[in-house]
Amino acid sequence: MAAGANADTAAEVDAHSDVWVFVEQHDGEVAKVAWELLAKGRELADQKDEDLVALVMGEDIRETDIPQQAIARGADRVLVADDPIFEPYRADPYGEQFRHLVEQRKPDIALIGGTHTGRDFAGRVAVPTHAGLTADTTELEITDERYEMRRPAFGGDALATIICPNHRPQMSTVRPGVFDTPEPDESREGEVEDVETVVGEDETLTEVLEREVGDVADITDAEVVVAGGMGLEGDFDPLWELADLLGGEVAATREAVEEGWIEPARQVGQTGKTVRPKLYIAVGISGAIQHVEGMDDSETVIAINNDGNAPIFENADYGIVADYAEVLPELIELLRERLDDTPEVSA
Amino acid sequence: MTDGWNIVVCVKQVPDAAEVSIDPDTGILNRADAEAVMNAPDYNAVEAALEVRDEVGGTVTALTMGPASAHEVLRGAVAMGADDAVLLTDRAFGGSDTWPTSLALARAAEELDADVVFGGEETTDSSTGQVPPGIAAHNDWAQLTYVEDLEPRPDEDQLVAKRDVEGGYERVAADLPVVVAMEFGENQPRTAGLHRKIYAETDFEPVEWSAADIDVEDEVGLAVSPTQVGGMATAEPVPREQEKVDDVEEIADQIAEVL
Ligand SMILES: Cc1cc2nc3c(=O)[nH]c(=O)nc-3n(C[C@H](O)[C@H](O)[C@H](O)COP(=O)(O)OP(=O)(O)OC[C@H]3O[C@@H](n4cnc5c(N)ncnc54)[C@H](O)[C@@H]3O)c2cc1C
Repeated sequence: MAAGANADTAAEVDAHSDVWVFVEQHDGEVAKVAWELLAKGRELADQKDEDLVALVMGEDIRETDIPQQAIARGADRVLVADDPIFEPYRADPYGEQFRHLVEQRKPDIALIGGTHTGRDFAGRVAVPTHAGLTADTTELEITDERYEMRRPAFGGDALATIICPNHRPQMSTVRPGVFDTPEPDESREGEVEDVETVVGEDETLTEVLEREVGDVADITDAEVVVAGGMGLEGDFDPLWELADLLGGEVAATREAVEEGWIEPARQVGQTGKTVRPKLYIAVGISGAIQHVEGMDDSETVIAINNDGNAPIFENADYGIVADYAEVLPELIELLRERLDDTPEVSA
Repeated sequence: MTDGWNIVVCVKQVPDAAEVSIDPDTGILNRADAEAVMNAPDYNAVEAALEVRDEVGGTVTALTMGPASAHEVLRGAVAMGADDAVLLTDRAFGGSDTWPTSLALARAAEELDADVVFGGEETTDSSTGQVPPGIAAHNDWAQLTYVEDLEPRPDEDQLVAKRDVEGGYERVAADLPVVVAMEFGENQPRTAGLHRKIYAETDFEPVEWSAADIDVEDEVGLAVSPTQVGGMATAEPVPREQEKVDDVEEIADQIAEVL
């Protein structure tokens, strides 16, 4: 492929090195995907024999253990942009600060969590730097010196390999839940560096008037996930009961989330989370491709749906064609007996 | 001020997601089989654009980039109530990734003197979600993504949005011009009335602009797209037992076995 008019020259491409990971935090609370990305970023940096650099933005970050945590989780260096302008998050100051650092320090690869925050500002870095940005990546790999970002296309029917031959950095937003988070190694050493803030409040285009966030549930770690959809008509109680019994978490389809039956953090799918439990029980879920994409790594899938033609049965190991309202109470009863019989069996 | 806002809504023609098939022998996607439709989340964008116009006055112009056949989605938006429509069409746009695509749309929005640009959350074919933030970044405008609800403040030249964020929501005030990506499913898109539909189909002609018209000839297309598709593989479906059982007892057995 010929280099485009606006492509970086080979020398410009070569001038870029290191793997960067954006450590998303709000009020001192780090988004778990950041730790997942540091683990993956460590692998890539080792393969390239380069440094892994974590970037944190916020206010009073030095008073938290975030920089130390980032080192324990693999970073060689941590860049801290500490200024009240970065709290709460806004796309324009985040994008501008990140852009400045990218232009100044020239990373080769930059990974950003595929959260609403990451997907919101990543373009404000990639556009002005003319970097390649791959959305919603699920696999990252260096093969024969070539960096490949893979992502589901056409609702998950295909897997596209995206490359970025002539532009740097090679950026991706990465879906939460696809990479593991190993235990932090507190003995690791690294450098923490404060960076200069390049954005001023008088240049900002937005103002956060109000921010309401509760405790965010984490379904990506659960061994058992009991998920509900529109078929439940809002009746999630038996799901909670079943999940409790099995020591698992409750999740849902996007439609169920939109109905307000459950919080968005529990949404599984293309625009939600990727879960990888031992057991996924899908109740009243049709099995739309966007949903299946987020649950297809489950070891065993069980479906309960009253429509025998629902696509979910093709994506399930065991299914029962029945009304959830009849199945769940009986199932809970049966499992309760079994779990009582053999107390050593637990989730 | 207020003689209303210039509102632009970006829509995209996509293959009907339910009909895209993969050739089992070649693994190549059969887009041609699928009917071309308006990207589902864009209906929410058009509805939001019309609601804002109804509140503050002004006009709604539907905007798309694509081949001549993309007229259809513009007509769809006009049938719903958009006042006008612009089609960016040119061979030069071919092979554009999100960087040049959002550049072309950004230039067109500037040309239309937009106060607010709407887009859907993402497309059902590419699903990057990058185009609305890309438009904002190219023009150095404010952006509001994952928007659930809007509160225009014409007297202050501001648009306030309730945005979905992880674990909750936030309300953000943005200075005009602003790019808004509506969250999928957040409003009830209106259905087109019969008269409006007839008008859109028979009497309405969208304006067409080439790459030169918006001065981006050298900045669009495959050659300037930073990302390239290096390969496409059929995603191997995860093998599943696909066994249907008749009684709940068997489901309980399976669950007990897994645990
Ligand atoms: C851009 C985009 C992104 C999207 N992202 C996601 C995503 O991340 N996650 C996601 O889940 N979806 C996503 N969707 C939506 C997706 O396409 C589907 O609309 C959604 O998953 C359907 O949810 P559902 O299965 O709960 O509802 P439905 O499709 O309405 O299915 C309900 C099912 O319940 C069954 N049922 C009804 N009554 C009963 C009963 N009494 N007992 C048992 N079963 C019953 C029905 O037979 C039916 O199969 C996205 C869509 C778009 C366009």
